[in-house]
Amino acid sequence: MSKNKSHKTTALKNKRLGYILLIPASVLIALVSLYPLINGIILGFQDYNLLRPKKRAFAGLDNFIEILTKDSEFYSTLAFSFIYTIFVVIVAYILGLCFAMLLNRDIKGRGIFRMLILIPWVIPSVVATTNWLWLLNDQLGFVNRTLQNLHIIKEPILFLADADLAKITVIFTGAWKSFPFMMIVLLAGLQGISADLYESASIDGAGFFKKFWYITLPSLKSVSMISTILMFLWTFNNFENIYLLTRGGPMNFTYTLPILSYYTAFIRSNIGYASAIATIMLVVLLVVAMLYMKVLSNRDKYE
Amino acid sequence: MSKKFRQKVNKKKVTLDVLTYAALIIIVFLVNLPFISMLGTAFKGKSEALSSTALFPSELKFDSFIRVLTKTSFPVNILNSAIVSVTVTVCCIALAVCAGYAISRFRGTVFNLYGIFVLLLQMFPAMLMLIPLFVIFNSLHLVDTIYSVMIAYTAINLPFSIWMTKGFFDTIPFDIEEAAMMDGCNQFTAFLRVVLPISMPGISTVGIFTFINAWGEYTLASIFLRTDGVQTMTIGLQKFVMQFTSDWPALMAASSVATVPTLIFLLIAQKYLIKGMAAGAVKG
Repeated sequence: MSKNKSHKTTALKNKRLGYILLIPASVLIALVSLYPLINGIILGFQDYNLLRPKKRAFAGLDNFIEILTKDSEFYSTLAFSFIYTIFVVIVAYILGLCFAMLLNRDIKGRGIFRMLILIPWVIPSVVATTNWLWLLNDQLGFVNRTLQNLHIIKEPILFLADADLAKITVIFTGAWKSFPFMMIVLLAGLQGISADLYESASIDGAGFFKKFWYITLPSLKSVSMISTILMFLWTFNNFENIYLLTRGGPMNFTYTLPILSYYTAFIRSNIGYASAIATIMLVVLLVVAMLYMKVLSNRDKYE
Repeated sequence: MSKKFRQKVNKKKVTLDVLTYAALIIIVFLVNLPFISMLGTAFKGKSEALSSTALFPSELKFDSFIRVLTKTSFPVNILNSAIVSVTVTVCCIALAVCAGYAISRFRGTVFNLYGIFVLLLQMFPAMLMLIPLFVIFNSLHLVDTIYSVMIAYTAINLPFSIWMTKGFFDTIPFDIEEAAMMDGCNQFTAFLRVVLPISMPGISTVGIFTFINAWGEYTLASIFLRTDGVQTMTIGLQKFVMQFTSDWPALMAASSVATVPTLIFLLIAQKYLIKGMAAGAVKG
């Protein structure tokens, strides 16, 4: 009884400690993340250009109306943003799942393979894109020269200068950079599946594809949902992969929303308009984030 | 009969193992092709790099590295990146550990909502934050100082770090603190002296994530750091790409130097890194 009581009093004191411990992180988040975020949404409703800062004024919905009704560049960018994100996630998922299944086999030295496959994910984007620029260079690049030496192609392939090829190339390098994450997460999921399930399926005469379809895929359902949604959010927000490879070019064929708002803010100096574009991005991301939270809470209920 | 059957199964397993190894070796080679060609080119002489298509150099030459490290401002960039990344990692861990402990151990609306808020914060478009932050830092005269990126990186990495440290503290039973408290600690000293030391693996994982992120960050640095003296490695490397595309070996040597810290971390801490990655999505 007395033990119980003392426990309760420490618990009360505890809460104060809890609030105190939250303060330092909260102050920084409030000043450097939250305040700018709110500010960014407000800027979206302003006419604010750094080139004529004195003309800054409230503009109501003007920016949004202009983006949604007059700006054809916005729509082509929005379309490619979705295409880019969806294809990167799909390719990364398929590669991640295949490699995770290979690594899930009980073989010696798989730790080393796993580490070597992680390299694309850990090296800085700037290094990764520079390496790709060198590999895919039309005059001196390894890929073009090797293909030419093998007489598979006559003219060098313009991976980044041709509009359609540039789109495929940035999707490919985006997936290349992010598939190791998928692989690790799916591998963790695969290792959670009981071997008994496969064994009894084998006894029942199920082959590889049947086991894959009826055991592996259903068991990975929640892990797959969460990791694809997370990767969707990251890829949709990603700026560096495309910007460092093509700068959004040729012309504006590989513009995504982050690139469009970056150029609008820091090259065209149109802070208000750029913030409005970013606010529209926020709406898209919030919808996806809600989905993520829903999947998380559903899974918690299920477990 | 059963012996025959077992032999057959064994034979099948061996063939499958061989196929797995073959597939893995090909995959590792293809996946790391950019990386292999980077190292190969960096160690080639300038003329060999431009004439031969071989991935590996015929003899090891270090003049590209010497050129990059003595004749350019790249060492300054590397030094700046090191200062920024270490500072950000230390600050981020200090803040994340406190907040993570709070939302792991205390119950109540504030703590629950804080956890959700932190999770949501990671999903906001970076650009929405970046544009106003530029305006704010500009008026505070922080643009073009190293402090701008230090502050911004710490704040950006905090939500994920808090969420991860919370996950690690969740795995440590409360009994441990209770025992320490019976021995005369209060909860804060129990947290410092008992919980923190046993969660070192988890905390180092968070540190590695933060370091890798800060080391490789480009977008914010490109906006905030304008002059040579304060620019970080990522900006230095990008300037090379714009200026020296004729000197690919030097560019690849610089890239190799820039990769070293991340690779060291991968080697030391891959086990924790993998745990952390999986925990992010599997445990939520």
